[in-house]
Amino acid sequence: MRYLLISVCFFCFGCASFSKKNNFNPAAITGNINNPYFANPKQDYIYKANIEVYDNTFGGIFIVKKTDKHQHRIVFTTEMGNKLFDFSFNKDLFKVNYILDDLDKKILINILKKDFKVLISENLKTEETYSLNTTTIKKTTLDNKTYYYFETPELSKVIRANYKKEKVRFLFTKINDTIAQEIEITHTNIKLKIKLKSIN
Amino acid sequence: MHRLVYILFFIVFATQAQTKMNNTEATALKTKVKALANTTQTISSDFVQYKHLDFLDNDIKTSGKLAFKSPDIVKWEYIAPFKYSILFKDETLFINDEGNKSNVDIGSNKMFKKLNKLIISSVKGDMFDTTEFAIEYFKKDNNSLVYFSPKNEKFSKYIQTFHITFNEKGDVIEIKMIEPSQDYTKIIFTNKKLNTTLDNAIFTH
Repeated sequence: MRYLLISVCFFCFGCASFSKKNNFNPAAITGNINNPYFANPKQDYIYKANIEVYDNTFGGIFIVKKTDKHQHRIVFTTEMGNKLFDFSFNKDLFKVNYILDDLDKKILINILKKDFKVLISENLKTEETYSLNTTTIKKTTLDNKTYYYFETPELSKVIRANYKKEKVRFLFTKINDTIAQEIEITHTNIKLKIKLKSIN
Repeated sequence: MHRLVYILFFIVFATQAQTKMNNTEATALKTKVKALANTTQTISSDFVQYKHLDFLDNDIKTSGKLAFKSPDIVKWEYIAPFKYSILFKDETLFINDEGNKSNVDIGSNKMFKKLNKLIISSVKGDMFDTTEFAIEYFKKDNNSLVYFSPKNEKFSKYIQTFHITFNEKGDVIEIKMIEPSQDYTKIIFTNKKLNTTLDNAIFTH
């Protein structure tokens, strides 16, 4: 019986949710999530990109454009202008317009699609709200994955987590009005880091 | 009706600004370009690159410097709005990405060797290889414009056609690389100097 109790305790402790583990304090829901960083259709968003994948590093130009109310185009080229991939997002539809043969791997496309969907999703429903010092944290679900949006008060961080652990971290820094001059996407379960620096 | 005639006349006139060359003119241009390419030991030039993507409001403008030393050393360097350079030298591709240096051994890499060759031949304009390209010749104002369309299927998936503009001396002043989607990269050379002595320091990594 005692062992069972200990096991149950361990089980419960081990299962402490992501929000509990990180000492988030539950708070009242104050509003939905608004991500302004790729929301202006009049703006061409151009970033110099640096991608570290396993032990390789390569660069390029990362381009985002809001082409319609619920549509975005995301293109990645080399510095010399050669297109590496070209994706369209239209609500829940996703289309690969072009991808270099060497990069045409389903697993890679899925990772990029999931990451970019976070960058361009503007309005999301808050399911739970927490506070941590002066930060407001809003929990939401996007394509069946759980995300935590950190507002300080501007959106400065997004974390994708499963029940317990952080999986992907999005950092928005050097925020200038509604443009994040620097964005960093770090995966914890695979060696992948995407660094973006605005050049326009 | 008069107005229509004027408009038609204007359209015909405007399209005539770019006319097809006859065989003699094309051969003369080819000879001129090849002769210049063969005597070119060094090239230094500034360039402005415009990346046109149809869905963007503005082309993405980058600029930098090009340096070439015969037979196969090339440095292609972006200065603004970011610093990035590639240098082909000693069978190696040296990359400097805002201070982060790396290199790729191209000795055994056919693709990079081809890229090295392509950059050199395109900045010299000497791509008159009919086994590799379908070629069309045009006159445009005082310049010449040549379309080079890769015949290799894999290559043509990246670039459908190169439009290279030559000045009266047969020197390349503009390269436009058009993708199958019709998006393109346009590079305009300015301050181009041939056969000046280039400091070796330019080609150090």
